[in-house]
Amino acid sequence: MKILEIKELRKQYPGFLLDGVSFDVEEGSIMGFIGRNGAGKTTTIKSVLNLVHADGGSVLFEGKDLWANETECKKQIGLVLGEFSFYKRKKLKTIAAVTKQFYPEWDEETYQTLLGRFSLDPEKKISELSQGMRVKFALALALSHRAKLLILDEPTSGLDPVSRDELLDIFRDIIEDGEHSILFSTHIISDLEKCADYITYIKGGKIVVSTDADSFKDAYRLVSGEAESIERFRDRLIGYRAHAFGFTGLMRAEDAERAEGLKVAPADMESIMIYTEKEDGHESAAQ
Amino acid sequence: MKALLSKEFKLCVHPALFIYLALILMLLIPNYPYLVSCFFVCNGIFFCFQQARENGDAMYTAMLPVSKAQAVKARVWFVVIIEMIDVVLMAGMCAFSLIPGAMPPTNGGGTDHGLSLLAFALVLYAIFNLIYLPSFYKTGYKAGTAFLKSAVGVWIWIILSDGLMIATNAIMESGLDIAFFRYIHENIDCMPKTAEAWTVQGILFGAGLLLYVVCTLLAAKISVKRYEKVSVA
Repeated sequence: MKILEIKELRKQYPGFLLDGVSFDVEEGSIMGFIGRNGAGKTTTIKSVLNLVHADGGSVLFEGKDLWANETECKKQIGLVLGEFSFYKRKKLKTIAAVTKQFYPEWDEETYQTLLGRFSLDPEKKISELSQGMRVKFALALALSHRAKLLILDEPTSGLDPVSRDELLDIFRDIIEDGEHSILFSTHIISDLEKCADYITYIKGGKIVVSTDADSFKDAYRLVSGEAESIERFRDRLIGYRAHAFGFTGLMRAEDAERAEGLKVAPADMESIMIYTEKEDGHESAAQ
Repeated sequence: MKALLSKEFKLCVHPALFIYLALILMLLIPNYPYLVSCFFVCNGIFFCFQQARENGDAMYTAMLPVSKAQAVKARVWFVVIIEMIDVVLMAGMCAFSLIPGAMPPTNGGGTDHGLSLLAFALVLYAIFNLIYLPSFYKTGYKAGTAFLKSAVGVWIWIILSDGLMIATNAIMESGLDIAFFRYIHENIDCMPKTAEAWTVQGILFGAGLLLYVVCTLLAAKISVKRYEKVSVA
């Protein structure tokens, strides 16, 4: 069952167009939402939640129009937009006391457990927390009201590798019961390699692909070969990087199968994104 | 709404608001334009809007399970509560004039203690709300511009209303007997003592309250409509 359905979402800004963004989040799964800075990830998330007034499209949460049932739907959504950077002079306990009033499903036990797990002192002020700790506080708030869907915009960007790994474990725990789902935007692709079931890739305000993580990776191959063969394969190469010993590039899997004389290897998500984003199709490392 | 109002009072109140509310004590100053104390409260409200803006309140609130319309309505209620606290405090201060000899017989600097003063204060807040709130919610962050615009409206009202009372006082003291000013002097610019003065000031107070309610409702309606189009970033 689909917990979130985004259909033909449109938002025009001067110099930027979110152009007919459509994708779904399945119940009990983690959807990785990837794209480089400025691709439209945050605009999409903000439009979904009506923080930004979309010019067109629709968003369904559990089959219901999210915008028409905003209050009801938002009670079941946990939102983390990076670190918690509001009311920095207030104590964590004050913010939590205010926040929990809005959620009838607030689970104090879970909240206290998360404070302990993240080593967060409720007597501290937001300003006294490091960037990573602020992310953890935002997550603790979002995870404590029994949200069915967690929407996380760059939740791991300011965290150290150990904390990131710990969080990814928490994410997997959350979706284990099959009733919770996570939409997780990031440019730290390695995090998604570890936990995402599905991938939606946005580029220049348009969705490039939205599929399961394995199919996403299987659709591409990393290829490498002699510098002389670049010209022969140029039209099939999505992107490549020339270096002193030849080149390394990305091809669609079906093209790579027919590319004789090239070394072919499985593609990782990061390489897929990097080579796809090369606007002129290549980059020379020798320069 | 209860949770949102609680949020406003726990997070958005700027400490200066209490100082500005305490300036109601200015009503004990003899010969003074008492409506100025209301302008200070408007200033305190402006400080709260600034405090909320600087702390990312718009985004924090947008993340909560509330609509933009609810967020605006809660803030309008927050403003109304502060203003009503000031009007009640003002009524309490006016009671001082009932103590014989506590205040000079007339206020040469503006409107006298009385129901008229409360009515004029309600009109002042009506003007402030009608200009400030829609102007702020046009962008959701330009609190200063909105305050400057509303201050112009508020000061025009202070100068007109208190100015008329100062003129009345001056004319009465000069010995000129002009019926219009004598009527104001005996029934409006005074602590009511006669039945007629109570009636006239009661009507003024009722009209002020009605204007306050109408202007604030209109301000809330325009603010909600405008804020719907604002992107929270």
